[in-house]
Amino acid sequence: MAVDTVRQRLIEAAYLCVSRRGMAKTTVEDVARQAGLSRATAYRAFPGGREEILEATVAWAATEFFLGLQRQVEGAADLEVVMERGLVFARRSIVDHDVLQRVMATEPDRLLPALTVESNRIRAGIALFLAPYLAERKLAPGLDSADAADVLARMILSYISAPGRWDLEDPEQVAVLVRSELLAGIVAPERSGKFR
Amino acid sequence: MGVAGGSLRVVSTFAAEADAGFSAGAPGRQDDRSLVSERRSDAGAPHAESPHRDRIIDGALACLARFGTSKTTVEDIARQSGLSRATVYRVFPGGRDELLAAVIDTEAARLFSALGVRLGTAHSLPEALAGGIAEASARLRDHAALRYLVEHEPELILGHLAFEDYENLLEVASSFTAPFLARWMRQDEAERVAEWAARVVLSYAVSPSDRTDLAEPDHADAFVRTFMLPGIEALHADSNRPIDISAHHLPTPHP
Repeated sequence: MAVDTVRQRLIEAAYLCVSRRGMAKTTVEDVARQAGLSRATAYRAFPGGREEILEATVAWAATEFFLGLQRQVEGAADLEVVMERGLVFARRSIVDHDVLQRVMATEPDRLLPALTVESNRIRAGIALFLAPYLAERKLAPGLDSADAADVLARMILSYISAPGRWDLEDPEQVAVLVRSELLAGIVAPERSGKFR
Repeated sequence: MGVAGGSLRVVSTFAAEADAGFSAGAPGRQDDRSLVSERRSDAGAPHAESPHRDRIIDGALACLARFGTSKTTVEDIARQSGLSRATVYRVFPGGRDELLAAVIDTEAARLFSALGVRLGTAHSLPEALAGGIAEASARLRDHAALRYLVEHEPELILGHLAFEDYENLLEVASSFTAPFLARWMRQDEAERVAEWAARVVLSYAVSPSDRTDLAEPDHADAFVRTFMLPGIEALHADSNRPIDISAHHLPTPHP
């Protein structure tokens, strides 16, 4: 069996184990058994053992999130719509993510370090994701598109982890948020006409 | 002022985790360097029950900047403060945990009081925003104890930058800041803008950027002009009263 296939089987098995008994109680033994593989095979695929499997599992879950996001914004007409759909989807993904919510509630100390590493990757991922949409637009004078993407990614990550005074379930509020705090300084004024 | 009370919610959860982190493994002690800047001791603590209180708090900050929470003992703090262990226990009968909670409370109050001065003396909205962002960012960036904890005991700090605790932090920071901004806009707008500014400060404090350092006044000013002022105008567009942003502060001319 190819190494990637073995790793993938173990990651999906680890996700199942974590969803059932949490991160602390998930052992390499459990994961191997769940995947129908030997303990030795598991260690060959993840020499770092348990910690490495768990990190890979968090990374895999983040990738799944991006694949979902991609599907959600496919065919969107412009940057504004991409961001509106993306924000609503991302927030809902967090709130409705049973495993994430359960682990956050019961083992935040275990999850958070991994999540923090992951949040830097997610931020870079959001910036990459938005780059082509930004490239299609005329940006505010003097604005560098990489800077714009980074600022947007930071803000998006902030709103989806804690919406604060914004209701991300309400499409009207999301539309205002996208056109004010998120894009008003970034896209050239003539295209943000709705609010000017 | 409601600051101390507001910060308490954040602070008390922090203290609980500081306690939980007691037995966690921590890296070895580092060389003694002067890590806590002296200028902090001039700011007032919220309750000064004892003349020794501030001295102990500052001693604790110096210890935290060198050893973190897991390796700092009451003994260390007493020695650093030049006081006896008994005196420290008289001021903080709850010992180490009470002391750590008081450190967080005091540091939050010091940050907010400095922020209040910057916001209260600003003459324009851009000045208030850029000044407030730079002040808060500089205090977070240059806080030796906080830096040590972020690096060596990240689980202690980062837990408060996700989900519910992050919501609380935004709420505390924006409720404090909003009344100052309400001089230039409606209260509800001021709350949104204050929350936005808090998001900006926290994002760059947690994940520093190699291109933007908001602790630098010109970077903070550029950020406010480029990203925030147009957003504030857009936010305001559906209401009647114009926002008082003098024209020369705007990054681009009005269409």
